[in-house]
This record gives sequence, structure tokens and C-alpha cells, in this order.
Amino acid sequence: MSSTVRRRRAEPAPTTKRHPVRGLNGLPWMLPAFVFVVGLIYYSVGYTVYISGLDWDGLSVKAKAVGLGNYTKMLGDPVFWASLEHTAVFWVVTFAVQTLLGFCLAAIMHSGAKLPTLHKVLIFIPTVLAPATMAPVFRLFFDHDGMLNQILTAIGLGGITQSWLANETTALPAVMLITIWQWTGLWFILYYAAMSQIEPELLEAARLDRAGNLRTLWYVVWPSCRGTTVSLAMLSFIGALKTFDVPYLVTTGGPYHSTEFLGTYIYRIGIRQAHIGYAAAISIVLLVLAVVGAIVIGRANRTQREN
Amino acid sequence: MTLTGVHFKKATAAAAAAALAMAALAGCADTSGTSSSATSSGSTSASAEPATSGEIVWWGYTPGSPVNEQYIAAFNKQYPNIKVTWKQTSIDDYDAALRPALGNATGLDVYQMSAGSANGGAAVFGGNAIDLAPAVEAALGADWKSKLSSTGVNALTVDGELKALAAGAVFSGTIWINKDLFDKYKVTPPTDWASWKKACETFSANGVTCFVQGAGQGAFNIDTIHAIADNVSPGTFVKATKGEVPWTDASIVKALGLWKKLFDEGIMQPGALGQMQYPDANNRFMSQKAAMVMMGTWYSQYLIPDVMKSAMQAAGSTAEPFTMLPINFPDIAGTGNTGSLFGDVDYGQGVSAKSANQGAATTFALWMGTSKEGQQAIANSLNLIPALKGVTPDWNTVKLVNSSAQEGPMKDLIERASAVNDAPRFATISADMNQALMDALAKVAAGKSTPDQAAADLDKAQKAQG
Repeated sequence: MSSTVRRRRAEPAPTTKRHPVRGLNGLPWMLPAFVFVVGLIYYSVGYTVYISGLDWDGLSVKAKAVGLGNYTKMLGDPVFWASLEHTAVFWVVTFAVQTLLGFCLAAIMHSGAKLPTLHKVLIFIPTVLAPATMAPVFRLFFDHDGMLNQILTAIGLGGITQSWLANETTALPAVMLITIWQWTGLWFILYYAAMSQIEPELLEAARLDRAGNLRTLWYVVWPSCRGTTVSLAMLSFIGALKTFDVPYLVTTGGPYHSTEFLGTYIYRIGIRQAHIGYAAAISIVLLVLAVVGAIVIGRANRTQREN
Repeated sequence: MTLTGVHFKKATAAAAAAALAMAALAGCADTSGTSSSATSSGSTSASAEPATSGEIVWWGYTPGSPVNEQYIAAFNKQYPNIKVTWKQTSIDDYDAALRPALGNATGLDVYQMSAGSANGGAAVFGGNAIDLAPAVEAALGADWKSKLSSTGVNALTVDGELKALAAGAVFSGTIWINKDLFDKYKVTPPTDWASWKKACETFSANGVTCFVQGAGQGAFNIDTIHAIADNVSPGTFVKATKGEVPWTDASIVKALGLWKKLFDEGIMQPGALGQMQYPDANNRFMSQKAAMVMMGTWYSQYLIPDVMKSAMQAAGSTAEPFTMLPINFPDIAGTGNTGSLFGDVDYGQGVSAKSANQGAATTFALWMGTSKEGQQAIANSLNLIPALKGVTPDWNTVKLVNSSAQEGPMKDLIERASAVNDAPRFATISADMNQALMDALAKVAAGKSTPDQAAADLDKAQKAQG
């Protein structure tokens, strides 16, 4: 073995001057992903930018170039602005509530709750249920004669019963409630996993310093889960921008656009009304908002961590 | 790890494959319509010779299982060597599913098209179909236009080419009642505002929803406002959709006021704006929790016991089929103008210009739209008013839930619908006006717009589309 080592040491050092062709090293390995990313995603984005400059129904040859016309049209479109507002409210509320619930449930499960597996399954089940199967159930649940009103009446709150999905002020909260019910399970699982990574010594030190449960949660556990919270913030922000299934299936964006989101509006404009160019322009705005939002959240997190 | 000749060849091959893949991807996504493809030109004069064998896939959204399978079974009695696979989507998803599917040579051969702003509108999707006129002429002769309902031919002709062959037409303006519930609670079918209100009070007192409408699914609201507007002033609604009368016309404003009154005075079920016509309202009627529903002639298919049984089971009911009847929209305006029916071709069969089985597909479309056998099957399913003139249901063959009670009203409805001329349902309503109408009606129903404001909004939308 030593002679082999010596022989290897005796070999001349590899030249630093690389053959130009060597720059292609690994290209075959990279190609599948390269083709997928460039060919499918970036091409599609580029193509969407292109058609956002057209007045086109999506099928006919009669496509009229309108330049930035679709973008200026957006500025004066009240439904577009309403969709943005709904998206912002939806994100803030669902993220805050899901974070609170997911974090608390994870903390409770880490504190030695009985039947942990059963609880985990029960909390996580809504996440795997298809919205399409649940939509009619929720329409019945929130109906005038639905279960929610029956429950409220039974507990003496009959005065606040109403047709939740038919009222513009309650339809959006109902959609948010369904979303929270659906996704809290995922938040819980991720926080549960994050809490499992906290060093026991850290918690022990907090105990020695006579920190109570709430103080330990706030000053030790919560900061330790910052990475998870930031990831969930980004995911839920992008998810809010892309929200489609629940409002489309439960309320179809109504009544009178009070649960319209960018996703449902793009579908309505592009598919129902066949204004593909305008729908593409809204899609581009959605993309820009998603990228900018993710960057802002990431930077805010970095700045806070540095401070 | 140097790049030997072999490696270099491999890399080059991989790069070439990647380039091809990218080109393919680009090709898939290129729907700009700038190519010279016949499918996008809107002028696809090429027609196919009917064939007697092959395999085809038939796309559509109506009338749904098991009726479509019954049509296929009847077709196969004449053409056993053509295998037809029915591919159904929901009505709301049809347009979205159809767009990408039309780009393929396989998987879609025949597809349903309809009029105006309805799903699968021929104006949008007709460009992807071949011209069926030569095949129809060969089947029915040079005077083929006189043998088919003009409603179907006109609505499905685009740029002078017959893009689909109508199976038949549907008409709206009717309300369907559960006769068994009316009999049980000794309620007479409503004919005016007072009797409608009284009927609703009785049903409500007995825990039955009087009238159900999925007002959250706006297209059906357009049927209701059309019926009300025809009650106020016959024909004005259609004139408004054509731009011949402003939406601010006093009769339209009055109709919008009556529409609001349905919500305010307990005719419409509470929370109607949060429900869909399908499945919510349909299920409530089919499970006998509601006594009346606003539906058109397509609902007559449920007079057939097996079809109704399927619909009732889908609605969660295991009861035996009940007796339902069509009645005229009540005279709520007090004008005496009742019995209005308005309709379009429901759907027609188009043959995809990209289909690799155009011969068999053309045979199927011709059978559905021009053959006596196909049209009789459609007539007997009670789903449509047939497109081939002179074909009516064979009442000796058609078994109804309650023949003695239902046959007379059905014959009358079919006769009246067959006589309707120039009273379109959606054919004159563009997709943008459709949306404007849905918005206006929802706002009026919720009290967010007055009838005058809603009429002004509609007028603005009509003018915006030129």
C-alpha cells in the first residue's frame, strides 16, 4: 500500500489549465432537470408574458396585440382589487390562526398527552381529504338549515344564525375557516417535528432558571421553531396567492365576488369569459407578487436573525 | 473524468435529445393560433366519409350517465363495430378540460358543442371541428336544412360551416313540482303571486322547502329572470340581450324588482345565494325536501323511473320515484302573460379536426343528429326536443313514473316547445354579458343594488362589448 501511495505522490500534479470541452463535465446529468426547468417552467412563464400582451380567446387565430393594455385594464378593475384584498386578508388570518393552533397543538403533544397517535391522526386527517369531496359537505354545514346554525341554536346563540355562504360579510370568513380546518394538521406536524429537534439541555436549562411553561414556550421553543415559521409563512403566502379549490368549490367566488381570489378570478376571466390575454396578465402579477413576497419574508427573517 | 470521444458523443446526443424535448414542449404550448393548422383557422372544410368501424371517444357534460350509455347501446345495434367511450366532465369544468384535449389526435374524437355563452360554445370551440355539412347532405339530401330544426343548424354553424350536429334543443321557463308533495299537503300548483305565496306558507309550515334555487350558480338565475321578464313583457329580455332594447327599459327594471321580491317574501329558500343549482338544489328536490325547482325541459328525463331512481340515489334518497310535473312560471307580474318558453340547441356533436378516427366519429355524429333511430332514442329519453323534425317520443315505449298524470303535461310541453321560434336562452348572451347578468342578479338579491342600479350596470356592460 505504501508503494502505491508513493507512486501516486510521484505522479505529476494535474494541470490547472482545463480543456474547454471539460466545461461540459456533468452536462448529461444536469440535462433532465435543465430541460424540465427551462423547457417547461421558464418557457411557460415567457409564453404567459407574451400572451398577456394579447386580446385573445385562447383558441382562435384572431389575437390582437394590446401591449400593456391588459395591465392598465387591471388597474381599473374592481374585482381584481377585491381579489387582492381577499388574498391579503386570507393570508394574514389563516397564517396567524394556523400558526397559533399548530404550535399550541404540537406543544401539547410534546407535553405527554395521552393517546398521541390517535390525536395526531385526528388532527392530520383534514389535510389529506380532497376539497372536492368536502365542498358539498361544507355548503350543507354553512347552509341556513345547516349544522352550524343547529349547533349555535342548541347552545343559545340562535340570534347569530344566518346563511353564512350567502352573506358577503361571512362568506370569506367561512372560506378561511375551511382552510384553517384543512391545513392546521400540516402546521401541527411541522411544528411537532421542529420541537423534536430542540436540545433537551436547552429546555433543562430553562427549567433550572425557573422558567414556567409559558415562558419556556415563548423564550425557548418559539425562537427555536423560527425556521419552520418562516418556511410556513412563505408557503402560506404563495398558497394564498394560488388559492382556488376551496372558494371555487364552495362558493364559486360568490356571492358577487366576495370570495373571489386571484386564482378563481384568473379561471373566471380566462376560461369562462375566454379573455386569455387578460387572465395571463393577472397570472404574471400573481407570479411577481409570489416572488417578491418570498424574497421579502426571507430577508426579514435574515435581518431579524442577524439582529 | 475527462470527456473522451465516447462521452462527448453521449453528451452531444443528450443535448440533441434535450433540444428536441424543448422543441416538443414548445410545440405543446404553442396555441397562439398563428400556425396554419386547420384546427385553429376556423375554416376546416375537410369533412370525413362516414365509416362503419373504429374506436372513438365522445366528450361531453350532458345529459350524463346512464342516458349517454343508452344512446351508445342504441347506436351499437346499428353499428356494432364502432366502439364509443363516453367521457363526461362536470358542466363547469367542461371548457377548461376541452381546450387542452382538442390539441390531441387521440382521446377525443367527438365532442359536445352548444350555443352562445353556454358551455362548449360553438363560437369558441367550433374552430377545432370539421365541417359536417357535406356528410349531412349525403345523409338527408340537398334539402337537409328543411328537415332539421333551424335552431340547431343556426346555432352550430360558424363561418358558414356546420361545426356540430344538434342532438336537440332544451327550453326553460318552466318550474317542476313534486305532485306527491302537493297532493299530500293539499296545495294547488301556483299560478300567480298570491297562490305561490300561499303554497310556500303551507309547505313551510310542514317543514318542506317550497321553492329551491341554487342562486350561487348564476346561469340558472338568468333563466328565472328571463321567465319573469317574459311575464312582464314578452320578448323584451331577448331584445335586450341583442342590444335592441336598453337594459334600463322599465319592464326589465320591474322584472328585477320581482326577482328581489322572490327573496324578500319567502318564495326563494333562505340562503339561496350560497347554494348551487347542481348539486344542491337538484338534490334537495330529488330527495323530496323541496316541492318546486326552476328547471327546463332537460328535467323531463326524470319522468323515467330508472333515471329518476339514479338521480334520487345520487341525492341520498332511497325512496321510490315520485310524480313530478312541469308547470308554467306563475304570473307574478299580474299581466296574464304566462307559458313563456325559451331555448337553444342543448348540444350538438362535433368531430375533432385532429381526430384520427374522423370516419367513425362522423358516423356517430350523423346517427345522433340525423337518423330516425338516433333521434328516436333521444326523444324517448325525454331529455331533449329532437332536432329532426317530426320525431316525438314513442309514448307506447316510454315508461313514466306515473303515466296517467305525466303523459298529458309532457305532450303539451313538447308540443309548445317544438313551436317556439326565435326565443333563445343563451345564444344571444355573450360570456361577458352572462357574467354581468350573474353579478347584477346576485347584487339585487342581496340588496346590494337596486333594480335601477342593476339595470344601469347591465346596460353599461352591454355597451362595453359593442
